[in-house]
Amino acid sequence: MKLNTTSAVVSFAKDLEENSTKFYENLIQKFPQDKETFLAFIKENKKNVVLVQRVYYEVISDAIEGCFSFEDLDTDTYTFDTKLPKDLSYPDVLLKAIKIEEKIQKYYLDSAEMSKSLMADIPRVFEGIAKRREKRKVELESLK
Amino acid sequence: MAILEEPIKELKILKNYINGEWVESQGELKDVVNPATGKTLAKVPISTKDELNKAVEVAKEAYPSWRRTTPLTRARCLFRLKELMEENFEKLSRIQTIEHGKTIDESRGETRRGIENVEVATGIPSLMMGYNLEDIATGIDEYMIRQPIGVFGLICPFNFPFMVPLWFAPYAVATGNCIVMKPSSEVPLTQLKVAELAEEAGIPPGVWNVVNGGRTVVSSLLDNPDIKGICFVGSTPTGKNVVYKKCGETGKKVIAGCGAKNCLVIMPDAILDKTIAGLMTSIYGNAGQRCLAGTNIIIVGEDEAFYKKFRDAFVEKASKIRVGYGLDESVQMGPVRDKTKKERIVSYIEKGIKEGAKLTLDGRRVNIIGNYPDTCFLGPTLFEEVNPDMAIAQEEIFGPVATFMRAKTLDKAIDIIHNIPFGNSAGIFTQSGKWAREFQYETECGNIGINIGIAAPMAFFPFSGMKDSFFGNLHPQGQEIIRFFTESKVVIQRWL
Repeated sequence: MKLNTTSAVVSFAKDLEENSTKFYENLIQKFPQDKETFLAFIKENKKNVVLVQRVYYEVISDAIEGCFSFEDLDTDTYTFDTKLPKDLSYPDVLLKAIKIEEKIQKYYLDSAEMSKSLMADIPRVFEGIAKRREKRKVELESLK
Repeated sequence: MAILEEPIKELKILKNYINGEWVESQGELKDVVNPATGKTLAKVPISTKDELNKAVEVAKEAYPSWRRTTPLTRARCLFRLKELMEENFEKLSRIQTIEHGKTIDESRGETRRGIENVEVATGIPSLMMGYNLEDIATGIDEYMIRQPIGVFGLICPFNFPFMVPLWFAPYAVATGNCIVMKPSSEVPLTQLKVAELAEEAGIPPGVWNVVNGGRTVVSSLLDNPDIKGICFVGSTPTGKNVVYKKCGETGKKVIAGCGAKNCLVIMPDAILDKTIAGLMTSIYGNAGQRCLAGTNIIIVGEDEAFYKKFRDAFVEKASKIRVGYGLDESVQMGPVRDKTKKERIVSYIEKGIKEGAKLTLDGRRVNIIGNYPDTCFLGPTLFEEVNPDMAIAQEEIFGPVATFMRAKTLDKAIDIIHNIPFGNSAGIFTQSGKWAREFQYETECGNIGINIGIAAPMAFFPFSGMKDSFFGNLHPQGQEIIRFFTESKVVIQRWL
């Protein structure tokens, strides 16, 4: 599916954050040893949803290019599954988590880049979240 | 993408909001129809003259007490109204989409713009201040105070059911006046929801009244001697020949925001991809039903390669616009408001063909996303080889129709703009400060955009307009609207 409107881009960001939450919830069930780290990720995911929605509802204006600031962002590029197959080892799960974070980070960076000169505040928030995703990747690497 | 949930499920018979009560009208009922689905959402009364006059009477009765309410208390009512609007942000936005047809992004954008006017009006204790000077002669001081005037009539258009009434209403009540508002009978639901919130915010009975209706309500507002001023937004023929004229005859203050035919000038140094995104919003946003919509695109210079590159990029982007129901988040352009409006736009497309313009994109053939009747939908339309004298270049179409014209120089482009009777807005896309300044300086239009597709002033600036686009002295929003809703009284004092 291709995303072109700001509303669709924001809704998809919310979906990604919620799916990320689902993934870490599953992870905690199976490998509780680093529970605190993943609970912090879940908390941050919720905060990200609030940040994204807040900036959208505050910046969206009749006069800006709300329906035309993004072009054909393909959701397939960023979608991931949240399931954890039974035979997956902890290091493999962490690798999967890193790949998920990379996809989410890419989504925020791609959409920020696309809308940078038109939407102002939205790309700024997206870039901020992408930066925190980078930190997560380092943290996940350290757990391996 | 999933379709967002509709905010209204059951058909409603709408009432008027008079003196803090929801009052049934004796007038005939008219259907309010969702232009995308064709579903009837509500039945709106076409109120009678007596009903309107009753609303004016109660507003007049409420005025002395409201006037004496301190500006701070009035501001607090508006703070509460703002908070209620934020709480109901999504509902208000979705109502706009279902009754008007605009996309959800556009509706939310409109909601934000409307709320910004309430926010600005909450600053009334500062905004309404006068000024003074000691010792204008030895021992004599002089000061100016702003006082409210009485009851104002608001006549609102269909294209911005939430925002346009809020260019006026919050400022009117903040300054201590009372209002009688007539929303467009095509899109009354949004303002009735706002009236519910105004009631909840504690705005006293009689201060904020809403009377649904049509011409009878308009003419009764204009005739009623207790109405001290009129705020109107609508077509030029009605604004100029009816509202402005009648207010002149009856001594009412008046703001009449009218039609437009806005030009966007593309200079050879414009950054193409960003310019095209701005143009899409300007021309096709709100399905072209916007008084700030760009419609005439004037490409400056004789560089054929630049023209071709610009044209190809425009056509590619416009032909990919997703048309459908505004509650589908993937949709970029909704339907026009109703069948009659669509027919009028189609008649202009036919006129353009007859006039000899080249129809590059034909919106009459439209691919609708989803299974909706094509009653009100149109696709993006583009005419090339347009002569500035053609009707499609001179008259307001109020639909998703763009015309491409060529001009050898910026001066010639400005000449084209000046030969159009309207003066609402104009824009230039360039990287040259010199060209931008020259354009801003020379162009006779109220709202100028520089690398902006829609030059929509923020709530703290006036929404300007010139020539056949505006009749009156003071404009909506900002400091000017405070002056409109108040009289300046000068006091000169000496204590003996």
